[in-house]
Amino acid sequence: MKPEQVRVVVVGGGPAGLSAALNAALAGASVLLIDSNSKLGGQYWRHLPETWLEQSELHLDLDTGLLLISAVANHPKIEIWSGAEIWSATHEDGATTLRLITNGLEKIITTKALVLATGAYDRTLPFPGWDIPGVMTPGGAQSLIKGHGVAAGKRVVVAGTGPFLLPVAAVLAQIGCEVVELLEANSPLRWLKSFPTLIQNLSKIGEAAHYIAIFNKFGVRPKFNRAVVAAHANKDGELESVSIAKIDSNFKIKKIDRVKCDLAAIGWGFTADTSLAGALLLKQFVTKDEGVAVSVDENQQSSIAGIFAAGEITGIGGSELSIAEGVIAGLAAAIYVGCKAGISDDHRKTRAKKHKFAEALISSYPVKSGWRGWLTDETIICRCEEVKYSKLKFAVTELGATDSRTAKLLSRCGMGMCQGRICGRFVVDLVANESGISPSDISEKERISVGNRPIITPISIELLANGE
Amino acid sequence: MNSPDVIVIGAGVVGASCALALTNAGLRVLIIDRGPVASGTSGAGEGNILVSDKEPSPELTLALRSRNAWFEVNEDIGGGFELDGKGGVVISRSETGIAGLKKLARAQRENGIDAREVNAAELRKLEPHISPTIEYGVHYPQDAQCQPMLAAAQMIRAVKKRGGEFIQGENVIAINSKNGQVTGLTTNKNTYASPIVLNATGTWAGDIAKLAGSYLPIAPRRGFILVTVPAPELIFHKVYDADYVANIASGEADLQSSAVVEGTASGTILIGASRERVGFKSEFEIPILRQLARQAISVFPILKEVQLLRAYRGFRPYAPDHLPVIGEDGNISGLWHAAGHEGAGIVLAPATAELITAEILGKTPFMDPTPFSPKRFMNQDPSAGVHVAS
Repeated sequence: MKPEQVRVVVVGGGPAGLSAALNAALAGASVLLIDSNSKLGGQYWRHLPETWLEQSELHLDLDTGLLLISAVANHPKIEIWSGAEIWSATHEDGATTLRLITNGLEKIITTKALVLATGAYDRTLPFPGWDIPGVMTPGGAQSLIKGHGVAAGKRVVVAGTGPFLLPVAAVLAQIGCEVVELLEANSPLRWLKSFPTLIQNLSKIGEAAHYIAIFNKFGVRPKFNRAVVAAHANKDGELESVSIAKIDSNFKIKKIDRVKCDLAAIGWGFTADTSLAGALLLKQFVTKDEGVAVSVDENQQSSIAGIFAAGEITGIGGSELSIAEGVIAGLAAAIYVGCKAGISDDHRKTRAKKHKFAEALISSYPVKSGWRGWLTDETIICRCEEVKYSKLKFAVTELGATDSRTAKLLSRCGMGMCQGRICGRFVVDLVANESGISPSDISEKERISVGNRPIITPISIELLANGE
Repeated sequence: MNSPDVIVIGAGVVGASCALALTNAGLRVLIIDRGPVASGTSGAGEGNILVSDKEPSPELTLALRSRNAWFEVNEDIGGGFELDGKGGVVISRSETGIAGLKKLARAQRENGIDAREVNAAELRKLEPHISPTIEYGVHYPQDAQCQPMLAAAQMIRAVKKRGGEFIQGENVIAINSKNGQVTGLTTNKNTYASPIVLNATGTWAGDIAKLAGSYLPIAPRRGFILVTVPAPELIFHKVYDADYVANIASGEADLQSSAVVEGTASGTILIGASRERVGFKSEFEIPILRQLARQAISVFPILKEVQLLRAYRGFRPYAPDHLPVIGEDGNISGLWHAAGHEGAGIVLAPATAELITAEILGKTPFMDPTPFSPKRFMNQDPSAGVHVAS
């Protein structure tokens, strides 16, 4: 197959990617939008069922989402490839080549202007029993509901940290689950530090009020400074109960209670999906929450000219910041290929405001190092390869690993199907801790290299063999 | 450690093997590496312990002893590095290829290698999923495999337990000597005194030789490996095309590749092997990955349905004559080399360590080490006269 030339290629069909595609097209560029999901909307507006049109209380930004999706889907200059998985990407002589699998075939795209909006996935922390069926991430619980309209349980505990717990708990309550506990690990007082930012983003206070109303209606009482620190299975191996701890501000356990439940949705914010950015060798940096993000300039352009990035991969910030960044990235990519368009001050101001709010959010919902104390030697660290904590520690204390790459290769943590997407981030912290390196001394390179995956997603040997 | 008897530079499999043998011989050993354990070529290979890919030669003698020495090391340190004597199968499809393979097997048998010719039916007993187009092979029960990073780490662990020391994260910047005799070395952080420095830095061994004012012509030969998702019970031996033997010996700089396929203890299947001389060029080259996939399918069509999970590349250290460099430097006394093993570093490591240890202690080694001596490169330094030993 001859590599196809397209003017602007956007990767990702969530808030940032949709905004980028639409704005590049409105500026006159022809756009190819590549999305790995079967339907547009990304994780945020995932599989919005038609019936939800009358149930907008189930999702706050439903109108924006449906509007954006339909504008993109109906725009004559936008071609959409859904269900397309990019397995390899390289950049040479000013052009990026994307190799992707769609409908069981490999396609190769070459473009001079690329917008990456690959989003984020739930950040997880390990704890005893987190691999029991019935324990999942809030995103996982939400996509079950959105995709199939069903919950995976009747008695539900929602826990972790961050504002994303609220919509997940709300929707679970609304579809008939009993939300027995809604637990935020941090203190509500942390928000006071960011009070000026909060009052500049009054819509967010409105959102909070919206959820409080729902929780009042269903009798859900959120509790703070509490975390699920262990999960327990019944004799069939399914979730039966969780241990809920009162924790201090460093997440150290003070007191434990046991609560019966059959679904636990636990999340610790988000991890940006930087696999594609890493394969393209884009400059990345370590964020305030010790995640990794793609470095961009004021036009959302990455360290490589012609490659733009928008949304969660430039730093976790939520859908509104993603949209603001997507708008600018889409326009900038269109300008890059010669379209006449401008990025207005209004666009930049919106982005700046949302950015400030995102920063306040990150500092209000930190993940503190005390979580390491929840682990036992028997706790599974890498779920794909079923590596126990004792084995990871052995790689450090006995086999001499001092960095996470060596620890990975000596313990198999992160060597399985997900290629470290789930455990890679916290394995860095565990290895550093075991080696006596303080979190602030972990190098940028160490954190960034966790996301290095030359093969971005698996490809069959046959497709690989048949390609050019 | 105060005044070690030997400083080993390099914590790869060769360095770790030497450190273990020297420690077991009663010497106080300090290992220094600029990175973590096995962070060079040892961490980027398949863990081959092969006798099958060598023609009768001093290298085969070394490999055969070394293969057995691996099982002794396994016993000595209590395992923990997935050593598996699973055997190898070499196949060929062309008339000339089969004739060449028969000849090789016969010569190997005369030199103590268990090389059993197998017909189409026997081949399928060994490897049920092998391509129907393959009707001839040679089974080598002595071929084995290990996880090389674990092997290096476990050997260094044993060295530390037996009184040795491992310092990582220090880069050697000078080999110190006086009147042509090594006195120690200096890293970016410290200076260490020792009458013997062993250069086990593989692909980078030429740099260390240069630091000492000597010369070793070791250069990188790049290789890619594909790793599939776990697919246990598909492939039982190390199976490779006889072309592989010819590729190893090739003097060409451009790409050579042949099918090398095997399962591992963790269930993944490793697919190699490519060889090119492109310096330390690290980019992933998709056409090479595709070629490896095509070759693997031609041997095991069932692999079509298996998913590729990862790929990695490494740099084999090769000398112009494709022989390892084992022994004392010709220019500086007290500087020893154990490097340049090309793609055979894992298999040759324990016997290399035995040669080094015997020579350092002035004992008679199990074979004549002359063919591997670094002295073979004396007077070959293209920049001779520029570097003066101090």
